[in-house]
Amino acid sequence: MTENNNDNNTGDDAKERVVGTPTDTTDVVTETSAKAESEHNGPYLASETHQHSEEKQRRGEKLASVWFIIAFLGGVGFIVSYFLFPPTAAGPAIADPQIGQYSNVLLGGTLTIAMFGIGAGMTVWARNVMPHYEVASPYEELPSSSEEKGSFSDFFMKSADESGFTKRPLMRRTLIAAMLPLGIAPIVLLRDTGPLPGEQMKVTPWVDGMHMYVEGTHRKIRAEDLENDPYGMISALPALDDERYPHGISLTDQAKSVILLIKMPEDDWKGGMNDAVREGSDETRLNWTHDGIVAYSKICTHVGCPAALYERTTHRILCPCHQSTFDASDGAKVVFGPAHRPLPQLPIGVDDEGYLIAKGDFNEPTGPTFWEYRKD
Amino acid sequence: MSKTTQAPKALRGVGNFIDDRFHLAKTGEKNLRKVFPNHWSFMLGEIALYSFIILLVSGVFLTLWFKPSMIEVVYDGSYERLQGVPMSEAFASTLYIDFDVRGGFLVRQIHHWAALIFVASLVVHALRVFFTGAFRKPREINWLIGVAIFTLAMVEGLFGYSLPDDLPSGMGVRILQGVMLALPLVGSYVSMFLFGGEFPGEDIITRLYMLHVLLIPALLLGLIVAHFMILWHQKHTQYPGQGRTDKTVVGTPMFPAFAVKAGGFFFFTFAVIAGLSAFVQINPIHLFGPFTPTSITSGLQPDWYMGFMEGSLRIFPNTLDFTIPIGAGYPVMTAVLVPGLVVPGLIFGAMGAWPFVEQWITGDKRAHNVADRPRNAPVRTGLGVAGIVFYGVLWLAGSNDILSETFSIDLYLTTYIFRVLVIAGPIVGYIVTKRICLGLQRRDRETLEHGYESGIIQQLPSGEFIEVHKENSDETTHVLESKPVITSTALEEDATDDNGVENPAARKPTGKLRRALAHWYTKDNVSFEGVEAHTGHHLHHSSHGDDKGH
Amino acid sequence: MKWITARRRHPLAGYVVVILALALFGVGYAALAPTSDQAQAQTLAAEAPSADDVDIAQGKTIFDQTCASCHGLDGSGSALNGPDLREVGPAALDFQVSTGRMPSMDPDSQMPRKPMAMSEQDLADLIAYYNAQIRTNGAGAEVPTEVPDAGPQRADFDDEAAYEEAVSAYEDEYDAYIEGASNTDMGMKLYLTNCAHCHSWSGGGGALTDGRWAPEIHDSSPREIYEAMVSGPGAMPMFSDGAITPEEKQELISYVKTLQAEPNAGGIFDLDRVGQVAEGFIGWTVGLSLIIACAIWITAKQRAHD
Repeated sequence: MTENNNDNNTGDDAKERVVGTPTDTTDVVTETSAKAESEHNGPYLASETHQHSEEKQRRGEKLASVWFIIAFLGGVGFIVSYFLFPPTAAGPAIADPQIGQYSNVLLGGTLTIAMFGIGAGMTVWARNVMPHYEVASPYEELPSSSEEKGSFSDFFMKSADESGFTKRPLMRRTLIAAMLPLGIAPIVLLRDTGPLPGEQMKVTPWVDGMHMYVEGTHRKIRAEDLENDPYGMISALPALDDERYPHGISLTDQAKSVILLIKMPEDDWKGGMNDAVREGSDETRLNWTHDGIVAYSKICTHVGCPAALYERTTHRILCPCHQSTFDASDGAKVVFGPAHRPLPQLPIGVDDEGYLIAKGDFNEPTGPTFWEYRKD
Repeated sequence: MSKTTQAPKALRGVGNFIDDRFHLAKTGEKNLRKVFPNHWSFMLGEIALYSFIILLVSGVFLTLWFKPSMIEVVYDGSYERLQGVPMSEAFASTLYIDFDVRGGFLVRQIHHWAALIFVASLVVHALRVFFTGAFRKPREINWLIGVAIFTLAMVEGLFGYSLPDDLPSGMGVRILQGVMLALPLVGSYVSMFLFGGEFPGEDIITRLYMLHVLLIPALLLGLIVAHFMILWHQKHTQYPGQGRTDKTVVGTPMFPAFAVKAGGFFFFTFAVIAGLSAFVQINPIHLFGPFTPTSITSGLQPDWYMGFMEGSLRIFPNTLDFTIPIGAGYPVMTAVLVPGLVVPGLIFGAMGAWPFVEQWITGDKRAHNVADRPRNAPVRTGLGVAGIVFYGVLWLAGSNDILSETFSIDLYLTTYIFRVLVIAGPIVGYIVTKRICLGLQRRDRETLEHGYESGIIQQLPSGEFIEVHKENSDETTHVLESKPVITSTALEEDATDDNGVENPAARKPTGKLRRALAHWYTKDNVSFEGVEAHTGHHLHHSSHGDDKGH
Repeated sequence: MKWITARRRHPLAGYVVVILALALFGVGYAALAPTSDQAQAQTLAAEAPSADDVDIAQGKTIFDQTCASCHGLDGSGSALNGPDLREVGPAALDFQVSTGRMPSMDPDSQMPRKPMAMSEQDLADLIAYYNAQIRTNGAGAEVPTEVPDAGPQRADFDDEAAYEEAVSAYEDEYDAYIEGASNTDMGMKLYLTNCAHCHSWSGGGGALTDGRWAPEIHDSSPREIYEAMVSGPGAMPMFSDGAITPEEKQELISYVKTLQAEPNAGGIFDLDRVGQVAEGFIGWTVGLSLIIACAIWITAKQRAHD
């Protein structure tokens, strides 16, 4: 159509044409005048067509090849990098973090070079070697014609009548009835994915007389261990030694029973400590402490992160996840943030040898608040 | 006119073999000729497609060694620092991938970076589609598929993040379980069934693994294929320009140029992800240590795409919580339910509903293939920005502890600031954006009337200085003139018909609502009516000889 | 310049500038963020002067000049700004002074870590005076002299050889303490359940309420960490030797110091070990921006005269 596009494949260049490139029948949108090509005034026309000069194509070819060679070298480098580091301790093994870093940077760096080289080469190829043109093409006419629609509809209804599905209610209804139980079956099959909640979410391994381990150790803690901590805090677990678990206690039980032991001068207690531990009980929260030591569940009542960030100056316990804040000196009441209820408290005391013990279970279920947590 | 080389014999052989069986010559040619408009913003969806491919490939590699098991073992692998530490097999096998499989560390980082880029590119792609109105008829279904892909991608990412069973990932699962427990009535049941008992139990990673490597990727793959086939069938939208109409698309044919460009773009995407993975450490689970439900770290965050959920959980106050006073009392924890369910429901629901809402307001049932310039749909653009601000504020709120520490702001104060911003920000964003759009429209009208400012100062014989305005190119004039008029059929319907009887549709509450919305949607528009190109007075000052300046 | 001039009015010029700026910002941030290696290098420290050559009189002079204005001549504090020092113990004093937090110019605000304001000898004299005159009934924790403190300073030595010898001796002591711990699980559990919620898994610190923060502990010597635990500076609760025994403390300190010293196996940039927030930030600003820059290159309009 114009000198700009398709009548260009002369000489050596012609060999590179492949099936599928636009033919002269394609409606190529171009600038119609040569003037527009040499002059540019204001924004550039999207539809401009351009066949690169042979010289420019040669330069493009060279540039693309340079990129591809870089990519090739990168790819070779990747394979070399792989074998540079033996996997076992035989040599500089990647299990050493420093050598792992070298390995990672070498492998990743060479891979990056290989990938970028191919990408850049292909871009140069498409931009500097291929002719640049844009073609126009119609969008699909989306709605079908009314004849086509009518014909479809007639055929569909005729066939539907033929099937008798609408006319034979007994057959239809029994078929639907037959499908129903099968539809429910997959849901029924999922029943055994887990037990019903029952009461298990409301009880923890803490029982009267159970000792406490400092978390991470298997050392039972005594009240006098905290005598040098006027403002102390320590994370503790029930003293269980179940041999099935490396820590002597399952993760599930840890998640329910972990406590924060907090010690503070008794002058710092606030009024909330005189509240009953639960409705109708004649024990107060203060009764459940021992020698300035109070034990709260460490699991936030919001969505269950360990609320452990205790500030001794303000007695705030803050959950680092969503910043629910509880006042440790005031029955762990919520003073800020999204939590719904105070941290549950564990009754504590000491045994004959001075070891701290639990004197029962928490006053409320631990962990995130759930629908039936108050139901007994 | 063109001379074309004969296809090589081998190629012809393959072609004939296929065509003999599928009769594809005509279809094949049609598809190779498929036209794609050129614009960088039309490549954003491709980033998502390519990251997804990278995710599939790197993910398959990781599954060769990963053991989705929560059995506790004592680590005795080759990573020295953690020897002797009890951990789940999932964590131990991830350490194996990192420190015993050569390139394993790299592939794991590629997988993680690709996931971050995947969701990020989905977001920018969706924003491009939204702001250009490319979701309009006939592409509403594809928009809905896109929203579904976005939602699934987030869930997929969350589950994948949870698999290594390291300290932050386990906390992500814990938070998920906490939100589940807050569901009224069924919460504890849902949690028990999903976890196979109480948290963390011994099943959750095995189950999330199945969802992460099988079910959700299969759904995603299906949706992405459908998304792409619909795009292929309907052809891509284009920006306004000469020769570009709702009936005609102008662009590069699939073969050869577009195919090579798109192929090259895959390698670019891979290169950037590989580069990040080579040099920037991501999610160092070996440093975090294995998950235990009793340990926690400050600055705990989910991956960025869950940040808005984290943020809304942080800033929603507990003051709206209430207890249903039946029996012992049943708590309804709005502070968990609203951020956990209502906020994402609002965001994704609004995204999904918008094309239909807009169509209902405007009554526009035409098919659109030419994209809107965002300024020409000020209300939509304003709402889009309001949505971005809403999402962005929640996202920032998800890192309020990091912000508090980095910029030394009181932690609680950040919460209060975000509580205000999450309401005020979108409103301000909407108003400001709409005003900017209208301002741009006015400038467009001026440019259309007067031409563009050439930057040349000219002194008139009278001594007055003026800036010479030059005529716009035909392309610019075309683009400016093609500004669509925003109207609504609701405003065209009379309240009464010829006989003075009230229009029943307009009298119903929905009709009234629609009229009100239509008024809101269409008022404040800069009319181009009566504006003719280059009729403004400035042009008379310019010397026409310069108009086609060189 | 001509090349730029010709293109600065190009419709895409603005985007290119923004992308480049963002990429530069991202890379710049990653490059400037300190690595744990550098932090580790600053941790080296010296022996306290032996108990024989302390000068209590000199200690009193220092106390009266630098401490008494807030804490009172008898260390009983003043109602306005200086807390009572009589029962805090020498560990607290050693911690506050050796981390440069005391003497403080502004008693109302939280002090960041600074270089120590006096010499090791002055500090030793000060502690001797404190123990002799101010401390009540031996209250509070002793300075844990068996735990390695900050390494020797070049300025304290006349010649290079003596300095290097001291460094070498110090490193042996440091390594012996760190490697003397053998139970990673115990150290990790103690750290992650009692410390990480404020100081972060990496020791990078974190936010507290009321604008306070938990400091990062990269630069802290093992002795300073030990002293912080027993004395509970600021809002930090106390972890006496009863709550966490000295051996357990050694495990804990060894865990966090080993973690901090470990090179980043995943690449040269660790984003300050901040975690997911920084990763998301880099993913958007560097990752996505670079990919979009490539898309702009691919689709950039071609002119006939190019």
